[in-house]
Amino acid sequence: MDRQVIRVLALASLVTTAPFGAAAHQLIVFASVDCEGVTVEAKFSNGRVVQKGEVRVFDGNNALQSTLELQSDGTANVPLDTVDHSGGLVIEVDTGGHDNYWIVTPEDIARKCGS
Amino acid sequence: MFRRAFLIGVTSVAMLATWPTWAQDRPRVVAVNYALQYFAERLLGDAADVVFPVPDGVDPSFWRPTIADISMIQSADLILLNGAGFATWVDRVSLPRSKVVNTSASIEDKYIVTESITHSHGDGGEHSHDGLASYLWLDPLLAIAQAEAISSSIKRRGLAPAVEIDERFQALKADLEALDNRARESLSDKPVSVIVTHPRYQYFARRYGITVKSLEWEAGTAPTPEEGKELVALSEASGAKILVWEAAPPQAALDLAESFRLKSAVFPPLARRPESGDFLESYNAFLDDFVAAQSGN
Repeated sequence: MDRQVIRVLALASLVTTAPFGAAAHQLIVFASVDCEGVTVEAKFSNGRVVQKGEVRVFDGNNALQSTLELQSDGTANVPLDTVDHSGGLVIEVDTGGHDNYWIVTPEDIARKCGS
Repeated sequence: MFRRAFLIGVTSVAMLATWPTWAQDRPRVVAVNYALQYFAERLLGDAADVVFPVPDGVDPSFWRPTIADISMIQSADLILLNGAGFATWVDRVSLPRSKVVNTSASIEDKYIVTESITHSHGDGGEHSHDGLASYLWLDPLLAIAQAEAISSSIKRRGLAPAVEIDERFQALKADLEALDNRARESLSDKPVSVIVTHPRYQYFARRYGITVKSLEWEAGTAPTPEEGKELVALSEASGAKILVWEAAPPQAALDLAESFRLKSAVFPPLARRPESGDFLESYNAFLDDFVAAQSGN
C-alpha cells in the first residue's frame, strides 16, 4: 500500500471517528491477593489502560493505611506487611475523573495464603 | 494447611460477629433487593433465613458494603443477584461462584438500555456511560422468570425439599400472573402518559404500554421551586395527567401536583421493603391509586 493510500485511509478514519468521540467508559478496579501482597489492576471499560491514578488502601475500620501511585501499566502492588490487613482491606483507585474500589475480606486473604 | 484453616476460622468468626447470630441449622440466603428477598422467602418458607443486607435509607442499587458485610455475604449458602447492573458492589468483590445466582440470566434479551449520561472532566474529553434499566420485577412476567431462577437454584443446592419448592413456586407464579392480569385490565385499555419522580419504572411501562417521562427527584421529599418548574414544563410537554411518586411525599408536594392538575399515585419500586404491606400488597395498592387517579378521583 503506498503512502498516499495510507494517508487517505488515516484521514478517512479520523473523519469518521471524530463525531463519535463521546466514548463510553467506566473505571474497573480489580485486586488479587496472595500471602505477600495485593495486586491492584485498574483499566477503563473500553479496554484502555489507566496510566495515572492514586491508590488508597483502607483497613477494616476505614482508616487510611497507605497511598501509592498506579504504575504506567495500570497496576500497583500493596505488600501485606506494610498494612494492617487483619480486618480486610478496601482498595480505592482515583484517576481524578473516575474512581472505583475493590473490597478484600480477611477470608479472601486467608484463603489465598498458603495455597 | 492448619494455619490456613485457622486463619479462615478466626476471621470468619470475627467478621460475622458484627451481624446477627444465625441459627446453625438454617441455611442463609442473601438477596440484593427486596423483590428477590420476597420471592426467596415465599419459596423457602421457614427452611432458610433470607437476608437483605442493605441498611435503611440506602439505595440498594448503589450501596457500598463494608468488609464485614462482604464477609457475611461470602459465607451465605446462596447469593441472589438481580443482574442488569443492579447493585454495583457485586462487581467490586470476590463472590463464591458456586453460590451466586444471576436471577435474570434467562431474560437478558429483555433488558432495556437506558439513555447514556454524557459528561467530561480532566483531559479525557467528553464521554458517556450507558446503562441498563434494572427494576425488572416491576413487570410481573419478568418477576416470574426471576422467581423461577431462584426456585431452580434452591433445589440445586438442596436448601429445601424439591416438591415443596415446586408447590410454592406454582403458588407464587399464580399470584404474579393474577397481578399481571389485574394490571393489564387496569392500565392497558387506553394510552396513558405519566410522569414519574425517578427513572425506575421502565419495565412496568413497557409491559403495560405506558409512556413515562422521568424526573430525578429525591424520594419522599417536597420538590424545590426549580423542580416545580421542571414538573410544569414536563407536564405541558407530555400531556401527562398522573404523577407517580416512588415514596409518599409530604402533603404540600401532593397539593403542588394537584395545583398543576396532576393526580398523584404512589408506587414504591420495591427494591426495598415497602413501608406497609409486602410485594403484592404494595403493587396492588398502587394499582388502586393509579385507577383512582385515572378516573380523576
